[in-house]
Amino acid sequence: MEHVIVTFPTDRLVYVDGEENGSTNEVLRVEAGTHVFELGNLANYRPASRTVTVQDTTVLEPLKIAFYRKDE
Amino acid sequence: MQSCARIAVLGCALVVAACASFTPGNPPLAKHEPDAGYRFERLEQGDNSDELFVIVTFSGGGTRAAALAYGVLEALRDTTIEWRGRRVALLDEVDVISSISGGSFPAAYYALRGRQIFDEFEDKFLYRPIQSDLVRLALSPANWLKLAAPAFGRSDLAAEFYHREVFGGATYADVIARKQRPFVILNATDMTTGTPFPFTQDQFDLLCSDLAGVPLARAAASSSAFPGGLTPLTFQNYAGTCGYRQPPWVALAAADHASRVNPRRTARAENRLSLAAEEPARRHYIHLTDGGVADNIGLRGPLEAIASTNHPWSVLERMNKKKIDKLVVIVVNAATNPATDRDQTAAVPGLIDTLTTAATVPLDNYSFDTVELLSKTVNEFNTDARLVGDCNRLSARKGEQCSLNLPAPHKVDLYSIQVAFEYIASPEERTWFRNLPTTFELPRETIDKLRAVGRRLLNEDPQFQNLMKALNGKP
Repeated sequence: MEHVIVTFPTDRLVYVDGEENGSTNEVLRVEAGTHVFELGNLANYRPASRTVTVQDTTVLEPLKIAFYRKDE
Repeated sequence: MQSCARIAVLGCALVVAACASFTPGNPPLAKHEPDAGYRFERLEQGDNSDELFVIVTFSGGGTRAAALAYGVLEALRDTTIEWRGRRVALLDEVDVISSISGGSFPAAYYALRGRQIFDEFEDKFLYRPIQSDLVRLALSPANWLKLAAPAFGRSDLAAEFYHREVFGGATYADVIARKQRPFVILNATDMTTGTPFPFTQDQFDLLCSDLAGVPLARAAASSSAFPGGLTPLTFQNYAGTCGYRQPPWVALAAADHASRVNPRRTARAENRLSLAAEEPARRHYIHLTDGGVADNIGLRGPLEAIASTNHPWSVLERMNKKKIDKLVVIVVNAATNPATDRDQTAAVPGLIDTLTTAATVPLDNYSFDTVELLSKTVNEFNTDARLVGDCNRLSARKGEQCSLNLPAPHKVDLYSIQVAFEYIASPEERTWFRNLPTTFELPRETIDKLRAVGRRLLNEDPQFQNLMKALNGKP
């Protein structure tokens, strides 16, 4: 089991491989491997998606996947 | 002279039958519709909450497994819990049933008839001499013509019998029309890949086939096509004809092949690609044998759902969305361990003994590992939750300035419950149950004992008792 935190300044839905999977700034569990991360609702964030290979994480050191506001 | 003519006619008829074309038992799917068909998401929840998520698995083992599973269903019906301020039957909180072989008969019947199973199943299946009926059918000259066709085997004959005598002509359309949880998954084995083949629309999407048109009996027959005694069943693969597109994770996981980051996920993706392959790699027919060949306790699918977000009814995804607070997995395992006098003599074991051992021992070992994998997964969740809590507590003791306040994943209470003969306390009684044969016909008193022991083993399980304490349960 791997752990990730998708970061964004506000609370947004997180999509993993096209499926809704919890919210930003929370520890989410995923299976090891390459996944596509996106945010839901408004498209005012960048990058549009991030493709990341998740491995060797622990619950104490989750992988941080950052998204930013487009205007930042 | 007359008998010669009869033999000649019979011979011609057999030749004609042998040339008969294959009639698929699974219709094509005109257009892939991700929101239609037999899928977990399509079932109405009613009063069944996601916060308490209950998965039950029924193993293979002929009528022995069916009776043990039925006894557990009865116990779940009679067990009440306090949930959301109401007293409800634990059975009505079951979300998913995953079944194999003999266990697939009560599972399928419950999917079709709900609580009417308790009025009908005993006469329809449990106490019936199914084995004798099947043998009689196979020996009947009236069926020899059918059996002479290369695409029609003894399991097709069995499926026709179950369709007529057990399931009353029902298809998956009848199960879909109920729209009720639990989501019942009958599992067979894809002979070519050796992987579990669940009877869900998500799986049939790969074949561009409509599960709604598949008789429930054909799914049960595939799940219980015990190698040797019963033949595999053939399904037509219409892949590429319905506009189906794989979910995004499949290409990502397949691309991970070389890096080996998660071979298990990659294998699942490659299996999906194999079933949905178009020309020239197309597999025109899929041959399904007993679900026990790939997983004799029906737990592999649920384990994937618990450990992966890339699953048609992912439990992990629901955990990430904080929808699940308590996860209960009840494994009903009718595995036996027959006694043998092999070691009392110096004689070299015979061919049948050796082949039987070669066929069954790896399955039993794999089942053991599957149950261990469930324990490992549960421990991993619990350890993670404890680790974060302990770190936060330890750091807080050093003063506010040292407080880590680590974020933790959504906490889920897990209950892994095992119903298996190996947990019977009395050695004599344990030995008796572990020496029961695998057949579709058992004496009435044996079936009664299996139903009773299923209920008792459930109530005696330590994790079940913890669950009862947590939910003010009354078995």
